[in-house]
Parts: sequence; structure tokens; C-alpha cells
Amino acid sequence: MKALKTLIEECRAGEADYQSLIDRVPYARFLGIQVVAQGDELTFVLPKHDNVVGNPTLPALHGGAVAGFMEQAAIIFILLQMGEPRVPKTIDFTIDYLRAGLFRDTYAECSVTRLGRRIANVHISAWQKNRQEPITIARAHFLLSDDAG
Amino acid sequence: MTNSSLPYTRLDVCNRFLESVRHSVVLGLEVLSAEEHAVRVRVPWREDLVGNPETGVMHGGAIFAMMDHAGGMAVTCRTFPTFEITPTIDFRVDHLRGPAKGAAVVCEATCYRLTNHVAFVRITTWEEGSEDEPIATGLATYTRLKIETAGKVVGQ
Repeated sequence: MKALKTLIEECRAGEADYQSLIDRVPYARFLGIQVVAQGDELTFVLPKHDNVVGNPTLPALHGGAVAGFMEQAAIIFILLQMGEPRVPKTIDFTIDYLRAGLFRDTYAECSVTRLGRRIANVHISAWQKNRQEPITIARAHFLLSDDAG
Repeated sequence: MTNSSLPYTRLDVCNRFLESVRHSVVLGLEVLSAEEHAVRVRVPWREDLVGNPETGVMHGGAIFAMMDHAGGMAVTCRTFPTFEITPTIDFRVDHLRGPAKGAAVVCEATCYRLTNHVAFVRITTWEEGSEDEPIATGLATYTRLKIETAGKVVGQ
């Protein structure tokens, strides 16, 4: 199997499908995460399926699954947009739940608030109906790898 | 407070709560114990929960999902015997160190303050067998929905 670093470089060069990078992460496959690229913009998708349901009577998505989706979206975002050669480590992750996550597809987008040499500060927003009405917002810090090579 | 006359314990209610939440069941969560001020939950290490394919370390999202649900159960243990629906308002997790490949992870959640509308919870997480070396800590708030039929979720 190709080294992760090689795959990231190929994705960035347009020689490999972004989804092939996501599919390398077992937990991302477990959640069924997809990525849609429009130009340079990346939108992440958590398709609705039974395994991410929390409250079955509503039914509503599990807050933990949405959080895991957002954290993974941020990690992939750092790998693809920043060209980070290794999987960044999550230092902390803080989430606000603003609306109930209904049983429907969920989307997320990321922005890097500050990129330092060792630490990236990322904001993540997730929505279902439209991006002006986020269901959750999160901020997280990630530790980047020491070696640049 | 003793409720020896009740036909179910806190552990029973937490188990039923867990069984009603599909994502938690799929993660393989298990309630180890449930007291008024402490709930312990375990998530097994599994190949499909790995976050870093190069190291085999479990994904922070799986650990987060366990901590979030354990936090909800901590509130359940405080409101016992009444079961309430308690959505998370906000949750912060600090990842102090990565758990080893192959290690199950255990957390203990405590609802340290319960007000009329809001529950304040803290959670400590460690690798199974290494209770003195936390791998993650969490701080969360939950809101108490006033829904009369909430008990149906746990068969009450």
C-alpha cells in the first residue's frame, strides 16, 4: 500500500481522488464520510445512515458521531490544504450544539484560523438545510508533525 | 438516597439508555458501573475505529462519542429515578496523550452540578488498566428537556 504521504501528494497534484485519502482512515469509512471538491473548496458529507443515529424516537443524529465527523473533516482538510505529510494529532476539540441534527445528510466546511509551525487552529461548521443555519460549530487545535520532509 | 424499593437500578437505566442509542451500540460501548456521582463506560479497540492508519491509534471521534454519551448518563444518574432527555449544549475534550494500539478505553463521567435547566459534567478517560494516567479530559454542559414521556426511551 502506498505511503500516506505519497497519497496526499498525489491528491494535491490532482492525480488521485480525494476520497481515496478518506478511505484510508478506518474510522472515516465507519462513519461513511465523503468529500466534495468544488474548485479549491472542500465540503465534507456525513450521509444519513442507521449507524450514526443517536435518539431513535426523533430520530436524531448522535452528537458524538457529528463531532467525530467534524474532527475527521478538519484532519483531512489540514492534510489536503496544508500538505501536512502526517496525520495531525488533535490537541483539543470544542463543540457547540446549536440545533438538533435531524436524520438527514450533514455537511461540514473547515477554515484554518491560524497556521503556526507546530499548531493549527481550525474552525469547523456543520449544517443540514443551509450553511447559514449550522447545527454545530467547533474549534480545534491540532499538533502538526515536526519533520517537514 | 436509597431507592431499594425501585425495580431497576441506575445501571439498569444506563444500560437501557445505551441500548436505545444506535450509534453507541455500533461503537460497542459498555456501561461498567453507574453510581449517583460516577458512571463508567468502556469502548473496545477495533480495527474500524482507527483514526491514524500508520499508528493504529483509535480515532478521537470514537473516544468523544463515548465521553459524550457517558456525560449524558452521568446526568441520568443524578436525576434517577426520573429519566430525562438531555441534549449536549457544549463539550470540550483535551487529548492528553494517544491511547496505545489495541487498548480499550474507559471513561468516568460525573455530574458535579445539577440546576433546574442545566447539568455540568466532567469526564476523565484512560486506557483500560492505566487509571492513573488519563489520556483525555472533558468538560460539558447538558440541558434538561422537560418532556413527560422521556421515560419511554428506557422503558419506564
